[in-house]
Amino acid sequence: MRIQGFTKTLLVMKLTGIILIATMLQVSASGTAQTVTYAAQATPLTKVFAAIEQQTGYVFFYNSRDLQGITPVTVELKATPLRDALQNVLAGQPLAFDIQGNTIVITRIEKEMSQEKDTIRAFRGHVHDSLGHPLAGASVTIKGTRKGTNTNARGEFAFKNLPDDAVLIISYTGYSNKEIRPDPNFIMYIVLQRSEEVLDATVIQAYGTTSRRFNVGSIATVDAETIAKQPVTNVLLALQGQAPGLAINATSGVPGSRVQLQIRGQNTLLSNPGFAQFRPYDQPLFIIDGVPFAPQNKNISQLSSLASSSFSGDINQAGGISPFNNINPGDIESISILKDADATSIYGTQGSNGVILITTKKGKPGKTNFNLAVNTGFNTSTRTIKLMNTPQYLQMRKDAFAADGVTPSNDPFDFFAYAPDLLVFDQNKYTDWQKVIFGKTSNNTDVHASLSGGTLNNTFLISTGYTRSDFNYPGNFADQRFTLHAAIHHTSADNHLTVDFGTDYGYEQNNSSAFGGARNVLLPPNTPDLRDPAGNLLWNYKGADLSGYQFYGYLKQSAILQNYNLNNTLRITYKILPGLSIGANLGYSRNTTSEHGTNPAAAQNPSYPYVTADFNTNAFQTINVEPQIDYVTNIGKGVLSALVGGTYKKNTNNSNTTTGTGYANDNFLGSINGASSISSYDNLDIYKYSAGFGRLKYVYDQKYIVSLTGRRDGSSYFGPGHQFGNFGSVGLGWIFSEEKAFQSAIRFISFAKLSGNYGTTGSDGIASYKYQDFWQPVNNAAPVQGIHPNSPVNLYNPDYSWALKKSLNLALDLGFFHDRLLVNATFYRGRESSQLAGYPLAAQAGFPGVLENINSTVQNQGWEFSLTSNNIKTKSITWTTNFNISINRNKLISFPNLESSSYNSFYVVGKPTSVVLGYKFKGLNPATGLFEYYTGDGHVTTNPRSGIATAGGDYVPIADREVQFMGGFGNTLTYKHFSLYAFFQFSKQTAPNWLSTVYSSYIPVLRARNLPVAAANYWKQPGDQTPLQKLTSSYFSDTYTSAGNFGSSSGAFSDDTYMRLKTLSISYTLPDAMLRKLHIQDGRIYVNAQNLLTFTNYKVADPETFNDFAAFPLQRTVAFGLSFNF
Amino acid sequence: MKIIFFKNYKIMAALLLMAGLTSACKQLIEVPANPPTQIAGSQQFSDSATIMTAVAGIYSYTSPGLGFTYNDANLTLCTGLSSDEIASTNAGNAADQEFYTYSLTALNTNIIPLWEHPYTGIYPVNAILTGITGNKAIPDAFRTQLTGELKVVRAFYYFNLVNLFGGVPVVTSTDYKTSSRLPRTSVDSVYGRIITDLTDAQKALTANYPSSGRIRPNLYTALALLAKVQLYRQNWQAAYDAAGVVINSGMYSLETDLNNVFVDGSNEAIWQIPATGNYSVTQEALKFVPYSGSIPGYLLTTALMNAFEANDQRFQKWVGNTTVDNGSGNQTYYFPYKYKDLTPSGATEDYMILRLGELYLIRAEAAAHLGNLTVALADLDLIRSRAGLTASTAVTVDEVMTAVIHERQTELFTEWGNRWYDLKRTGTAGTVLSAEKSGWQPRDTLYPLPRAQLQINNLLQQNPGYN
Repeated sequence: MRIQGFTKTLLVMKLTGIILIATMLQVSASGTAQTVTYAAQATPLTKVFAAIEQQTGYVFFYNSRDLQGITPVTVELKATPLRDALQNVLAGQPLAFDIQGNTIVITRIEKEMSQEKDTIRAFRGHVHDSLGHPLAGASVTIKGTRKGTNTNARGEFAFKNLPDDAVLIISYTGYSNKEIRPDPNFIMYIVLQRSEEVLDATVIQAYGTTSRRFNVGSIATVDAETIAKQPVTNVLLALQGQAPGLAINATSGVPGSRVQLQIRGQNTLLSNPGFAQFRPYDQPLFIIDGVPFAPQNKNISQLSSLASSSFSGDINQAGGISPFNNINPGDIESISILKDADATSIYGTQGSNGVILITTKKGKPGKTNFNLAVNTGFNTSTRTIKLMNTPQYLQMRKDAFAADGVTPSNDPFDFFAYAPDLLVFDQNKYTDWQKVIFGKTSNNTDVHASLSGGTLNNTFLISTGYTRSDFNYPGNFADQRFTLHAAIHHTSADNHLTVDFGTDYGYEQNNSSAFGGARNVLLPPNTPDLRDPAGNLLWNYKGADLSGYQFYGYLKQSAILQNYNLNNTLRITYKILPGLSIGANLGYSRNTTSEHGTNPAAAQNPSYPYVTADFNTNAFQTINVEPQIDYVTNIGKGVLSALVGGTYKKNTNNSNTTTGTGYANDNFLGSINGASSISSYDNLDIYKYSAGFGRLKYVYDQKYIVSLTGRRDGSSYFGPGHQFGNFGSVGLGWIFSEEKAFQSAIRFISFAKLSGNYGTTGSDGIASYKYQDFWQPVNNAAPVQGIHPNSPVNLYNPDYSWALKKSLNLALDLGFFHDRLLVNATFYRGRESSQLAGYPLAAQAGFPGVLENINSTVQNQGWEFSLTSNNIKTKSITWTTNFNISINRNKLISFPNLESSSYNSFYVVGKPTSVVLGYKFKGLNPATGLFEYYTGDGHVTTNPRSGIATAGGDYVPIADREVQFMGGFGNTLTYKHFSLYAFFQFSKQTAPNWLSTVYSSYIPVLRARNLPVAAANYWKQPGDQTPLQKLTSSYFSDTYTSAGNFGSSSGAFSDDTYMRLKTLSISYTLPDAMLRKLHIQDGRIYVNAQNLLTFTNYKVADPETFNDFAAFPLQRTVAFGLSFNF
Repeated sequence: MKIIFFKNYKIMAALLLMAGLTSACKQLIEVPANPPTQIAGSQQFSDSATIMTAVAGIYSYTSPGLGFTYNDANLTLCTGLSSDEIASTNAGNAADQEFYTYSLTALNTNIIPLWEHPYTGIYPVNAILTGITGNKAIPDAFRTQLTGELKVVRAFYYFNLVNLFGGVPVVTSTDYKTSSRLPRTSVDSVYGRIITDLTDAQKALTANYPSSGRIRPNLYTALALLAKVQLYRQNWQAAYDAAGVVINSGMYSLETDLNNVFVDGSNEAIWQIPATGNYSVTQEALKFVPYSGSIPGYLLTTALMNAFEANDQRFQKWVGNTTVDNGSGNQTYYFPYKYKDLTPSGATEDYMILRLGELYLIRAEAAAHLGNLTVALADLDLIRSRAGLTASTAVTVDEVMTAVIHERQTELFTEWGNRWYDLKRTGTAGTVLSAEKSGWQPRDTLYPLPRAQLQINNLLQQNPGYN
């Protein structure tokens, strides 16, 4: 037997292997009593079952193998209650039954056990889950005593001596406790039900599952139900405010645009700061169904489109199109956010920024179920800015000229007085560009259908979805998505082999306009007509060139993106021996984007158009192989689980860009063939990664938990000699509520756990081949005398290696009043050293930077609190509350020789890495009308010196961009058929304010550009105390100088605290009577709204996408929907 | 319970074996030595043909940091605005207007490429010079030729840097650890390096251009640049001699038709770079030639318009005009028009870096300073006659010198910063420009260094008068 098992092992190892799958079975309880009327003479059991199924609507689950050799039955039942009927039918058979919702599970009682006879006080039992899988390591204790045992790998347990009145409590992670009265005459077959308690619900962790009860790492989970209530097309947006420690930023309101995530603060330093470079924003590792998502959270688009807006203060908000558009939120079962070393060190060099595990939906055994959800809604801008009308705008312009004593002129030779908007344009014309550009109410449609079901051993799920989001923008622009998801599960008849296959296919088309149009809300309100009545674009108005105004030109430049996403996963597990399984996880993820951008002649000034078309592709691919061995056994009163595995991963990213120019006719722009000249270049990136890892977890007496993880990693990102590293963690947990002394002392606390862990993770988040001095052909370059030019692309530095993060996590979990109120408090500290970053070099070195490990340490330390409460739970009313808040403090704790490094003006030891150095703002001098600043030695000036004090400048730390605290709270109220969910999200930080945009990007009046009405509050005469200083129309005035310094001063930063009614969901479940008439199992009508209300002290722009008030605004969505199960 | 473990020792062994196989295996993470799009430095310098791809990169005018790095017409624009050549009609373009109005700040976005791109261009020059030194894979003659021509290139970069910013860090190696922390040096030492490079080049180069066209410098390119540098250094004799060698070489002649001066194959060209951008048109043409019916983005200043004498053919052929109804009647506007061709993918013009016309003016100026008025006037009148003008009426040394500077203004306008450099080197910038526009301050002869650079390398000192 053992030998045979081993041979099988090898066989399976070759094929790949296995994983122990804890299949979840959640069945809703059905309240109606059922009776059976049936008579049969020596009828096969299967026929009897079929008859009962037909009468009751219940479904039988069994392995046909278990029914082999069962003698036909003879029964007569008359309106017999189901339970009694089953007892009758199975009387004398070696079979046991258990009713799970509307499912009847039939299992065979092990022969050898049923035949054994024991002494009176001895008792044997067998603990299984509802699918018949034995539960190894379940705890069996004698009620009222500390005596007990654990089940073995077959789920069996035995007592030699039991008191006559003994009651046994059987408990197992993730399952509800069961109390039984042992009957020594039978070998009892005990089925544990999946627990619906929050504490015991399954939590997906790295390479397996755990529960909140026994987990010693920091994992937050967002479930399908929470996601379903949010009318978002990008699932990442549904996480906002839901998990402590997880920050989410939408980069834009453009449908399909990227969403940025960060777990527990920024660990790495700025790379290559140049003029337009912003501070980086660490992204976690994304894994979908065990396979690293090929594009991760990168921008998949190479074209300029409305989504490529890219800044927000000085934190990098690199926009673009999100790869997650192609993951249908309706196909997601849960999302786990792994935050600390215990949870992430098993990911080795990739885990230091945290890990997001996305698990898709799987089929559930039972009647075949068809679900259809349809919703349609509309989008509007969350916060539109109120812009000046024509008289206000013209007044501002005139005042600006007057402030410098200049008379506006229509003569271009009069360079500074030349103001066509005041003298050439119609002074009475008014266009509300805000309304023209963002005033539309756009539509959203989402359809999602799924078919699922199956038998105990074979389940399936197929779902498909279509989503369309129109742009809140003129023109026919939309983001459309079609997805197909399927999952099948098979368990062999002997329960030894399990196979899970999942596949996701997504097609997205994002049809957008070229970049640049959105900012045109600031066009002068008296801009002349930009189109003639026939719709042709106009390029000048009385000589004034309108090229800089031609908004409609952008609308004719298309940027069409098509994205194809395929994720396939295969998990095979083979159980060699009870408790020991071997398996493998195979994954393939490919994300391909093809883009087409055009700049037709029709969009351009006809004088000399450059007609171009771009054809780009960008393909990300991951192949992932992870053999694994799982072992579970009992040791003493505890359960030991061990996991050993390996990873092989290969990522490739191939992109190419082809540009055709010189098209004779716009109609040819769809093809490269019509181009008279073609230029093309490509880029290829390869990454290989391999690792061996292990996890050992021991839970003793359901009280003490030890968890060890380790990993040895190799990454091709590093040069020879620097490729391998070791990472590991130790976690400890103590469920002290299990201690007798505690239980008797504090009764209202039902659960109490203290846990902690410490460990290391790394980061290799860079591109390949950065350690060599490479040269490459210059993109798009024409040959010089027949030779294609080469240029250097990288500096030689073979010595860098991964960054190392050491993290500590301490948590206290408390459950009150029978776990109706669960509270978690977590303290964490992560210190990342040897940050891997492009060390900035002065331009004179020839390169903006070189990749290095930077000798510094960044600390992120903070607190996270979360609370889950079942406030009311009665038959007709339930009320639950969720709350979380996180407080992160980022600090640069060491940086030797910072003063002489390239970072001297960017960082300060002891301050957060988002510190901003600049001038201390004094305010407006009401006498002169100018902004004033403090110099380093406390004097007041309109023109301070740049640079830090040691460089003779007046820079001091003026702000930091850290989020001071953030979180969310939600309430779910159900009353009979109605359900209401309201979720608020909040955040507090210091952010660049709208004045910073005014003075940095749209310096008043120097440009013929409109401004928010609030900007009309400028200084006019001595004594005025206004937010804006004196206007100017000239570049050599003091006014211009002091205005230019404002953006680098503390005046440009303001408090940005907001609370947003992120989600409001109201639903009505159709009453049973109606459903029966309609032949529907279950139906729901709902209204979901996102970003409905915002409460903030932040002025003018949106508090979430602060700073640039002219950017594409975030969207408020209201969706009406129907959901039916057939 | 240990028993369970030991019972399964075979499985455990298999398990450990598997873990061992997947982890410590170097083969699993092996990737090709270089991506298909790139080659390592050692491969780049493995043979002459591959080295030539890097050399081609030096003369390509495509990406920022390549070619002569002023591929956005930025040098022409900034210096044209700072001097008295052009003005922008876009009052809202702060980056441009700060140059025109002498209100430059260290945050000006046009300053950044003026400072950064030359260094991006110098790096590959230094890398090739390092890569060919002692390289046994290539013939000596090839090495000598490359050394010579690349030193001309490097000298040209530093010549512009020193004229725009004053003393700058002089980088001659690829060691980024050292070069990124270099402080500024004096103007004299930058010129010292330029003259050394050009003298070395003079020894290494021959009269023949190493390839077709006049892209890769020959001996006369080195001498022409040396003549210009010596003129700027007021080494009149050296300038006179060097210019004389070029003029007397017989390789170059003035184009009689002014419309042919800037086209590919111009006989006047001493150094010409192909316009090899996406559209193969020059950036100057793109910037200056207006859309029909629109007022040009940049207009010739009244000062420059008035500098043209009556019947100056250069005003006819190198200055464009467009007549537009500006709302109060038809008005004619004038714009630089040396580069005209906007035919996508088929333009016939090349960027002219050095041409014979300038060499005559260099020799004329040097000769005047040396008291040789005959040569000075002869050279000057050659240029004037080509422009359709009569012989100069200047008589005294001062008059001749003034006449030459004036001729440089009308001959070399909007070309490589000549006017701006001339005003500065003759010490007349303050008087000429403050008479022309308001706002002039003594600090304005030098541009500020980009603020970000001062922050990254705190050993760099800002030019006086800038924050």
